[in-house]
Amino acid sequence: MDLQFTPDELAFRAEVRQWVAENLPKDLSHKVFNSLRLTEEDSRRWARILGKKGWLGYGWPTEFGGPGWTAVQKHLFEEECALAGAPRIMPFGPVMVAPVIMAFGTKEQQQRFLPGIASGEVWWSQGYSEPGSGSDLASLKTRAERQGDHYIVNGQKTWTTMGQYGEWIFCLVRTSTEGKPQTGISFLLIDMKSPGITVRPIITLDGEHEVNEVFFDNVKVPADNLIGEENKGWTYAKHLLSHERTNIADVNRAKRELERVKRIAAQEGVLDDARFRDQVAQLEVEIVALEMLVLRVLSAEKSGKNSLDIAGLLKIRGSEIQQRFSELMMLAAGPFAVPFEHEALAAAGWQGEFAHAAVVAPLAGTYFNMRKTTIYGGSNEVQRNIVAQTLLA
Amino acid sequence: MDFDFSDDQVSLRDAVAKWVDKGFDFSRRHAIAKAGGHTRDVYNQLAELGLTGLAVPEAHGGLGFGAVEAMVVMEELGRGLVNAPYAAGALVAPALLAAAPAAVQEVWLPKIASAEALVVLAHQERGARYRLHHVTTTATQQGSGWVLTGQKSVVPAADEADAFIVPARIAGAADAITGIGLFVVAKGTAGATVAAYPTQDGARAGELKLAGAAATLITEDGYATLEQAVDVGIAAACAEGVGAMDKMVAITVDYMNTRKQFGVTLASFQALRHRIADVKMQLELGRSMSYFASLKLGEPAPQRRRAISQAKVQLGQSMRHVGQQCTQIHGGIGVTDEYISSHYFKRLTVLEMAYGDTLHHLGEVSCRMTETAGVFA
Repeated sequence: MDLQFTPDELAFRAEVRQWVAENLPKDLSHKVFNSLRLTEEDSRRWARILGKKGWLGYGWPTEFGGPGWTAVQKHLFEEECALAGAPRIMPFGPVMVAPVIMAFGTKEQQQRFLPGIASGEVWWSQGYSEPGSGSDLASLKTRAERQGDHYIVNGQKTWTTMGQYGEWIFCLVRTSTEGKPQTGISFLLIDMKSPGITVRPIITLDGEHEVNEVFFDNVKVPADNLIGEENKGWTYAKHLLSHERTNIADVNRAKRELERVKRIAAQEGVLDDARFRDQVAQLEVEIVALEMLVLRVLSAEKSGKNSLDIAGLLKIRGSEIQQRFSELMMLAAGPFAVPFEHEALAAAGWQGEFAHAAVVAPLAGTYFNMRKTTIYGGSNEVQRNIVAQTLLA
Repeated sequence: MDFDFSDDQVSLRDAVAKWVDKGFDFSRRHAIAKAGGHTRDVYNQLAELGLTGLAVPEAHGGLGFGAVEAMVVMEELGRGLVNAPYAAGALVAPALLAAAPAAVQEVWLPKIASAEALVVLAHQERGARYRLHHVTTTATQQGSGWVLTGQKSVVPAADEADAFIVPARIAGAADAITGIGLFVVAKGTAGATVAAYPTQDGARAGELKLAGAAATLITEDGYATLEQAVDVGIAAACAEGVGAMDKMVAITVDYMNTRKQFGVTLASFQALRHRIADVKMQLELGRSMSYFASLKLGEPAPQRRRAISQAKVQLGQSMRHVGQQCTQIHGGIGVTDEYISSHYFKRLTVLEMAYGDTLHHLGEVSCRMTETAGVFA
């Protein structure tokens, strides 16, 4: 039992910290530290910088051109990026679809798709949820019918995050209606420039365009774009989920945002109000406890002992904490959280009509936006079912 | 960064668990509680395992083990709901005596290791709440020695202890952190009387009344030592709580899998499944912070104090949540004296109040907030 990182791990962290400090553009970290809107180009720029260094696919093994880092190194990399105010890596390419292509794709598919993901040149989207299939994902209905050497895809995907910029989309599609719903699903890679695809924005409650509906109308997809075997897609998708273990808790971001809570509370004059301050202290305890939980999972992964089947707990707690810090920030601003200054999110340099307006303007929007965290990725109620399943008969 | 236990630590855990299995079942606990909470026999049996010497340096006849070993033992004692003043006598007292002159250590530490003497901290005072620096018991020099006057409250195993370690004010105002001395008062000293009572969790405590009682000086400047020793006690309470919660959850899960209502097991109701998932969450957060507490015990005082308070907040909340929810899931049987889970609930409740409850420690965290948060802050 030892709480300290090894000298090698500390040296690794120092190396990452220095590199991030030298390579993360200041205009991007300014936006991240202040919850200003990141443009498509902002996200692409950071992805390309990481890609050039070979760190965009930071979880990849060396055989596919990744750095081959340990679980602890991956955690430290995520932490250094988060604390420095780096934009979040869009996970759909490097974190989500790439491991599936590595594990189940053909050599040809690997050579065709992985380089564009690793370099940050190709923007991927995720096509899972449908209007009738949210938490009950296996009930999905988007159909792919085999016709010769291609599939014809018809249906609708939704909640497609940043799909407006997507060049490719990985989809779960129904290729069979026989047997259990899970057994008739296939994993298909689709070029979003294909005729018959329409992307429509969904504006969320904060007024932002983050998610989309994607319609498929007789979209022709080469059969070469099928991953693995037909009707085995559910297995591949589960493999994908098993790749998101600790980063689902997003504890590094929570640490960064807790400091922002304190700064905003001090600026607004409530940090010395015992009733408010104690709530910040409570959140601090919760974040330390979550970090310890994450470190326990990493340690178990490292040693192979004491395997901890607690991904559900990490998702539940991490999402609750994200909601909580956004809530406290908004409450700290008090009545000044109320003005809806949409233009403030776009323009670094926007001043507003009262002191610190630029700091305060994004807070309520972030609070509203964060309600998604306990809903997406398997709602927290579904996660509770999963946790209970590990305990009960 | 490594949260695996060494082979020796696993053996220690197994040895304690084995003794609990054979030597301390629920009927024994129940009988002790009914008879007024006398536990010295249990304490002496722990000594036969060598456990009372765990934190005593080898030079004084102990094992000289560290914080992780103490945590392992406390987890198992908690799991077995073992009723004995183990943390007070074997972990906290040696930490206090670390500040004593060699001659005083030579008198007490070997006896602590062998359990010939049960020595407990008597620090709480009416009106002090959980503040360690609120000390109104006075210490005055008389000839070459010291005499103490005042009253210490809710002292663990008060009428079974052989000696008390008493913080007393040598100088300064009631709340000053300077001028607090630490003293040993032996049982039976003229002017020292004990009025004992049973506790809610089936053990025993009492009031130590001092009226010019002769005392041996440990140190004239004892506040830092007192804080350190109390932090040892907090880490022990956290670990005991983890063991107790772990077992209470296991008992509740068994009950959910077997008890039937409406023709089906309780485990089939989603309302209860979600409750047990939340309980599991609190258990694992608590376990994580118990590790944190024990691993931070060796840090310099500012970091240690902050970490220990953070841990006690989490454990306080976890223990209350697990105790209340597991009682609720059981239904009627959960509120009976005959069934074991109510005894876990009461122990967890008392542990929350040991060395500062959740609100007290939240206040400590609140006072110590800095510009960086997290495990390595």
